[in-house]
Amino acid sequence: MRSLTFRGVSVRFGHGSHAMTAVDGVDLEVPPGTVVGLVGESGSGKSTLARAAVGLVPPSSGTITLGDTEPGNPRRFAPRLARPRHIVASPQARRRRQPVQMVFQDPFSSLDPRMTIGESIAEALPRRRDRHAEVRRLLQLVDLDPGRSGDLPTGLSGGQRQRVALARAMAAEPEVVIADEITSALDVSVQGAMLNLIRDLQRAHGIGVLFISHNLAVVRYISDVIAVMYLGRIVEIGPAADLLSAPRHPYTRSLLAAVPRIGSTLDDESAADGGGWRADILDAGPPDPHQPPAGCRFHPRCPIGPLAFPERSDCIEVDPAADAPARPHRAACHYVTDAPADRSVGRT
Amino acid sequence: MHRRQWMAALRTPVGAVAAGLVAVLVVLAIIGPAIWGDAAGTTDMGSINAPPSAENPLGTDALGRDILARVLVATRTSLGLALAATAIGVTIGLVLGTLPSVLGRRSGRAVVTLVNFLVAFPGLLLALFFAAIFGVGARGAVAAIGLASAPAFARLVQTLSATVAGRDYVAAARIAGVGRARLVGRHILPNIAEPLVVSATTGAGAALLAFAGLSFLGLGVQAPTYDWGRLLGEGLSHIYINPVAALAPGVAVVTAGLAFALFGEASAAALGLRATRAPVTPRPPVEGLAWAGGEDSDVGTPPEDVVLDVQNLTVAFGAGAGAVRAVDGVSLTIRRNEAVGLVGESGSGKSLTALSVAGLAPEPAVVAADRLHVNGCSVLGASDRQLATELGTSVAVVFQDPATSLNPSMRVGRQLAEVVEEHEGASRSAALAEAVQRLRSVRIPAAQRRATQFPYEFSGGMRQRAMIGMGLMGQPSLIVADEPTTALDVTVQRQVLRLLRDVQRETGAALLLISHDIAVVSQMCERVAVMYAGRIVEELPVSDLMNAAHPYTRALLASVPDMSVDLERELATIPGQPPEPARRPVGCAFAPRCAFADEQCTAEDPPLAELAAGRHAACWHPQTTVAVPEVAPSRMGGH
Amino acid sequence: MSQALEPAPPARYVGAVPTNPWVRFLARRLGRLVLSLYVVVTASFLMIHLVPGDPVRAALGLNAPPDLVAARRESLGLNDPLLTQYADYLWGVLTGDLGTSMISNLPVATIIGDRLPSTAALGVLAFGTVMLIAIPLGLGMAVLTRSGRRRGSELGFTSTAASVSAIPDFLLAVGFIFVFGVTLDLLPVAGRGGPESFILPVLALALGPALALSRILRVEALRVLGEDFVRTARAKRLRVRRIYLRHVFPNALTAMLTIGGLLLGAMLVGTVLVENVFAWPGLGMTIVSAITQKDYPLVQGTILVYGAAVLLLNLLVDIMLALTDPRSTIRES
Repeated sequence: MRSLTFRGVSVRFGHGSHAMTAVDGVDLEVPPGTVVGLVGESGSGKSTLARAAVGLVPPSSGTITLGDTEPGNPRRFAPRLARPRHIVASPQARRRRQPVQMVFQDPFSSLDPRMTIGESIAEALPRRRDRHAEVRRLLQLVDLDPGRSGDLPTGLSGGQRQRVALARAMAAEPEVVIADEITSALDVSVQGAMLNLIRDLQRAHGIGVLFISHNLAVVRYISDVIAVMYLGRIVEIGPAADLLSAPRHPYTRSLLAAVPRIGSTLDDESAADGGGWRADILDAGPPDPHQPPAGCRFHPRCPIGPLAFPERSDCIEVDPAADAPARPHRAACHYVTDAPADRSVGRT
Repeated sequence: MHRRQWMAALRTPVGAVAAGLVAVLVVLAIIGPAIWGDAAGTTDMGSINAPPSAENPLGTDALGRDILARVLVATRTSLGLALAATAIGVTIGLVLGTLPSVLGRRSGRAVVTLVNFLVAFPGLLLALFFAAIFGVGARGAVAAIGLASAPAFARLVQTLSATVAGRDYVAAARIAGVGRARLVGRHILPNIAEPLVVSATTGAGAALLAFAGLSFLGLGVQAPTYDWGRLLGEGLSHIYINPVAALAPGVAVVTAGLAFALFGEASAAALGLRATRAPVTPRPPVEGLAWAGGEDSDVGTPPEDVVLDVQNLTVAFGAGAGAVRAVDGVSLTIRRNEAVGLVGESGSGKSLTALSVAGLAPEPAVVAADRLHVNGCSVLGASDRQLATELGTSVAVVFQDPATSLNPSMRVGRQLAEVVEEHEGASRSAALAEAVQRLRSVRIPAAQRRATQFPYEFSGGMRQRAMIGMGLMGQPSLIVADEPTTALDVTVQRQVLRLLRDVQRETGAALLLISHDIAVVSQMCERVAVMYAGRIVEELPVSDLMNAAHPYTRALLASVPDMSVDLERELATIPGQPPEPARRPVGCAFAPRCAFADEQCTAEDPPLAELAAGRHAACWHPQTTVAVPEVAPSRMGGH
Repeated sequence: MSQALEPAPPARYVGAVPTNPWVRFLARRLGRLVLSLYVVVTASFLMIHLVPGDPVRAALGLNAPPDLVAARRESLGLNDPLLTQYADYLWGVLTGDLGTSMISNLPVATIIGDRLPSTAALGVLAFGTVMLIAIPLGLGMAVLTRSGRRRGSELGFTSTAASVSAIPDFLLAVGFIFVFGVTLDLLPVAGRGGPESFILPVLALALGPALALSRILRVEALRVLGEDFVRTARAKRLRVRRIYLRHVFPNALTAMLTIGGLLLGAMLVGTVLVENVFAWPGLGMTIVSAITQKDYPLVQGTILVYGAAVLLLNLLVDIMLALTDPRSTIRES
């Protein structure tokens, strides 16, 4: 098993004055056997990053590698996509292994309505082995009745479809699986089963998982490492428990404070740490991805930024992403804080 | 599956008629010339342009030939040429349409631009263009019409292919390494085949009409060959002498064209492709609701500060024995300054309850209740006029999807101003000024400028705040918020919830908050009611949530991962699914999924009983002894 | 809430409006129009060269004396290199010289100039008729049949409209001639005369598209009735009339614009057929006789005129779309 490594990956859409940088200079690693949670709100670029990892969207710069070699190139197909320069198509292998697989968010469009679920799964199998047996094995792996391999997707519930999608991803014998908001469309009572399943599969097969979600509680449950994205950048990354109990970046802190919890109130707890945490600044309008703010991208909404402390002009002038690796949790902030342990977040 | 749908299409009256007509046409085309060929060709200079008679039911033409025979024989030519032209159009269209999916980016875009350019011109113009090039005659006309219809097909194929290519399952196949050819053949074509066939059928009808037109003009088939169009042209010059000669081929053309068009429409409707009928989505009518009888029983007068008084609310679809009750006997009381949350999963009936309370239940729904009072006035059975005068603006509603809840083509300021223009007779400028004020009060920066903008220029959170502002334009005593933050980011959600809370405090209004997220409700409300399968199964103060008694509430609380869940254990889950309203089991609706269910549970439906002050639960075995534990961890599949 | 938080530079936030979007939009559209016109001109130029065989011989007949054919070729400039012909043609179009008819020896531009007004009059009147019929009918039927009311009327309306609009314009024309001309002798059926001579041709042209459009409009209006924002308007307890006039109808009409444009474009070209039925002295008769007689310069000229008319109509539709849908101008930029 190898690591999936993003080095300086940027993804730009459009051109000229209408260009939008959805992902900007991201460095990330998904080591084998690790679950890396990627959180962010809309416009953070997390989904774009995921699609770049599987080759659906070409990175404008930077590299995405598996181990030290480039992963297999999925056939260029969609009309709007050009060949990415960094991934070289291998001419001899028609059906090479595709070691990076993805499970999508919407269970109702992830399966071809005209193929049986057995056929959908079999399509991802690397070799023309004994397809039947393989399909049955995979269905059992995701706790579905193998006898249903001849069924069409129309009869299945959302949770069941997600399991089929997972079986299809596992069929390709992946080293890394990217889960893009796979539980967001599921009912709460079904969500748990899916998360348990992912966790078990990952541990049993030593797969690396990049788990993308906007739901912090879900990410907390399943991840070993958590990375926080804002406006195309990773603003903080660290071990899950550590990051959640002692977040360094003000955005992470705001995010954590905003998660509704039973027994908490809407008023700020973080005000308790004194030191002028201006939570109201966060309420300023969301960022426009077409025109990212200068300097630190979070500064117009930052509760400890220049709008709270006018003397902190370096937030507007200097981009803290440059020397982020030197700070704890690689936080992209000039004023990294050591927040006191958040009482309501339990340790393992 | 698909065969069944086609069969269903044939069973509708339109479909059956159309199919029958098409069958007749095909038969005529095949056997026509054999049977009537001679009669059609025999000239009789003795009786030219004769009116209808026993011998010649439709009369004769300028050379004494029997018109009826000629019309029948012309079926083959007309149909055959039309089908040939359609075949050409569809083939070229298919190639041009799938080309962008197969080619690279630049060439693909060039093809798309070309097709878009051609599509802008009406088919007849293109046909005339090609007819001028290829010259008159059947072959030239077939080529002309075929080429003229190709861009429209290409455009359709392009659009359909692009939609399919954008779906996740195609992306998944690409990631799995599936090759281009197989992607087109295995995923794209099968998924566009049906709409394409329907389109081809309608296209055949159009080609038939186009051919008739060309031949009528003299640009189509030339003598001695004849088709309906040519017959029409010949007949027109003698219309005063023997009008039937012109009308008969006309009728034939119309019938054939209609047959194809109707068949296409019937298939499209059967396959669910086109909304030829009015969409009957459950939506509130614009005025007047079908409130059921439900005589307003005055079961005692509630205290003065009760804003919302609901007793035994039922919302049903359909009538009589087969009626499905989506909401079954819900009772709620909310006072001034009080916030009550309604929690449930999809299908629990919570949204419908909220909408009914606000008088916005979708039209097919039949709403009944023992009592449904807002501010003391009965909402049941009131007409729209009455509701407007009595309730005025006392009920403010915030809907779930901020993207679609505002009129996209009206400026935001005006949408707010409308409320006071209507209810307080304010002048336009005064109303707008108040709207700007309101926008400011809901913390929308640069309110003056924002008021002149359209909803699409607002972000999601801002739209929700504008909706709240809109509700505040009046003097609401009740705010109904239906999943107001589900579609928003979590930081924006907090902002909107805080605003809602502040608004409630300032106005002293009552708040009914609907959500699937218990945590959100616990932050905002004092009391929470949990709904399952159309009923309230538990009602308790938020502060007491950890001591919930009903097994469903407990299971719900246990299965949601929150920030303090033990990471070592597996997440609790609730096996099975909530029942559909039409298939509610006898007895307690939760029994099939409940760990504590016994025979009594499956036999009898527990009533909502009081366990303690302010706490009710509908359960035969309420779990009152222990605080919420984890439900036995399971990873049950099959759901 | 502190007022100091009002953001100063709007450029960073959603909803910023850079330069005047209208100017940019119009410039783009007009540019596209010019480009499309250029393509149409080129296509009509190429027409004579795409004809299999010799176009001059085809026009003059196979038995024409060779020196006549040669002289004609020369006068049409067909012996010059292709690019020279192309340049000459483009220049001619720009200066209003569309060549000379091979059959009548008159300048094409003159012929077109004579015949165009009749077609234009027909087209404009038909357009007006379509709008006058379709909009009230479609919107009215939507209000009457909403939420499944009056199923009978709905069925009657949709089937009648479907059937009649399925009848092509020239067949409607023949039918009208039969009913109003032959049988009732009520209205003139040939040639252009006084105002009553307009009635049948306009009706034949407009009836089909009007009914088709009213069907579509009804479906669109009903769809809009089901939209969330109408529910919001209802929640505001606005008067019914206001909800329809301010919220439902404008959005329904906007949704109908695109397909309305297509129908009108088809109707425009439909004048060719209807004119030939009623012997209406317009471009329709010109183009048919020109094609039959292989009078290529005349064909080129008339195709050019029709093509340009369609492009102008599309531009109008686009402008109307931009006016009514606030998003469209921004989408362009």
